[in-house]
Amino acid sequence: MESYTRYEKARIIGARALQISMGAPTLINVVSKTDPLEIALQEFRENVIPITVKRR
Amino acid sequence: MLTDAMRDRIESSDFPPLTRQQLLDSLGDKEFSEEQFEEILEAVQNEFEETRIEPLEAVGVIAAQSIGEPGTQMTMRTFHYAGVAEINVTLGLPRLIEIMDARKEPSTPTMTIYLSSEFNEDRDRARMVSWQIEAAPLHEFGDITTDMENMQVLVAVNQAVLAKRKISMEMIVETAQKKIRDRRHYRDFEVEADPENHVIIFTPKDQEKYQNLFQLAEHVRNVIVQGIDDIERVVVRKESGEYILYTEGSNLKDVFEVPGVDTVRTRTNNISEIAQVLGIEAARNAIMAEALATLGEQGIKVDVRHIMLVADMMCMDGEVKQIGRHGIAGEKESVLSRAAFEVTVNHLLDAAVANEIDELNGVTENVIVGQPIQLGTGDVKLVAKSRT
Repeated sequence: MESYTRYEKARIIGARALQISMGAPTLINVVSKTDPLEIALQEFRENVIPITVKRR
Repeated sequence: MLTDAMRDRIESSDFPPLTRQQLLDSLGDKEFSEEQFEEILEAVQNEFEETRIEPLEAVGVIAAQSIGEPGTQMTMRTFHYAGVAEINVTLGLPRLIEIMDARKEPSTPTMTIYLSSEFNEDRDRARMVSWQIEAAPLHEFGDITTDMENMQVLVAVNQAVLAKRKISMEMIVETAQKKIRDRRHYRDFEVEADPENHVIIFTPKDQEKYQNLFQLAEHVRNVIVQGIDDIERVVVRKESGEYILYTEGSNLKDVFEVPGVDTVRTRTNNISEIAQVLGIEAARNAIMAEALATLGEQGIKVDVRHIMLVADMMCMDGEVKQIGRHGIAGEKESVLSRAAFEVTVNHLLDAAVANEIDELNGVTENVIVGQPIQLGTGDVKLVAKSRT
């Protein structure tokens, strides 16, 4: 997995949490979690978020 | 044991020179196995990565606070001197301000002159070099009398002083008249030397007024005939086994030309002089060393990297710029950034007249217009990751 700085992590997870909160289908099986941020964090940990950063 | 192969691995690693040296030093005489060496290297590598700053960190603000906070702890009124041989040196807050303001001349210029190996082991030999450096006015070489009857100024040169200082009568006469003419801009006089009686006679051209005679006497008394004009005092001290000269006053260029001076180690606290003589990189190092020494002297520890950032900013354009109105803050590219600093209306008005364009590249500008700034999460650009 690519290594992200803490700002990149925050930005990716934040963007993904927003998508989930607006109804995007989750990419992991969630049964116990309802909080979009929690789900986004879980997805990040499992490296399934389809977002990356563009570095200059 | 540290084998040659291990040594090579350390030398060729990506660590900064200081870390490499510390590794070599601390491993030098210790017993350890091949595996332990690998473990050590890995631990150092991890630690090294931990201490590095991530991209997009607001290092400028952190540097400002890291220097500013300990700065408040500094004793306000330390216009006092360092313990070094009765020579006065500005320290503490005033000195720190002086460094950041990039003054042309510090309030107490001093030099630390190291001597080459032929001169640094013996006090008398060190003294010999110091005489070539310390400015010596003519009255130190003998008695000066004003002969009002014959309208003359007489210098009775003391032969013992001449022998001690290794300077000839002719040289004194020559430099004295040259310096009075060129440096002191007084030309209406004539000089005669009387080597037999060891007397130098100065006569003013205008014999009518006593005023001229007294004026000439004053010039004769104070003209510098040996040494470097700007260096008022030299103190010879023995430190860690060698003799070092400390001076009041600084003139790097002329001191470098004195035989016996170690030009590699000799330093001055006049940063702009270093920039002129040795170049901008040397000036950057001098800023760092001076700032660190000033803070350290007060028992304040600041990470070098903060000071490096400040020094880099000051020297970025190839000349030493001050922090503030007439330097970094005042010469910024962006109008809005300058306007945010001081005299807002004038900056905006001038910019409007000059039809300036603000590219909104900096932090301040974007805060003003309400956009995300290029720090932290504000500068991360997201893209969709292709499914693989």
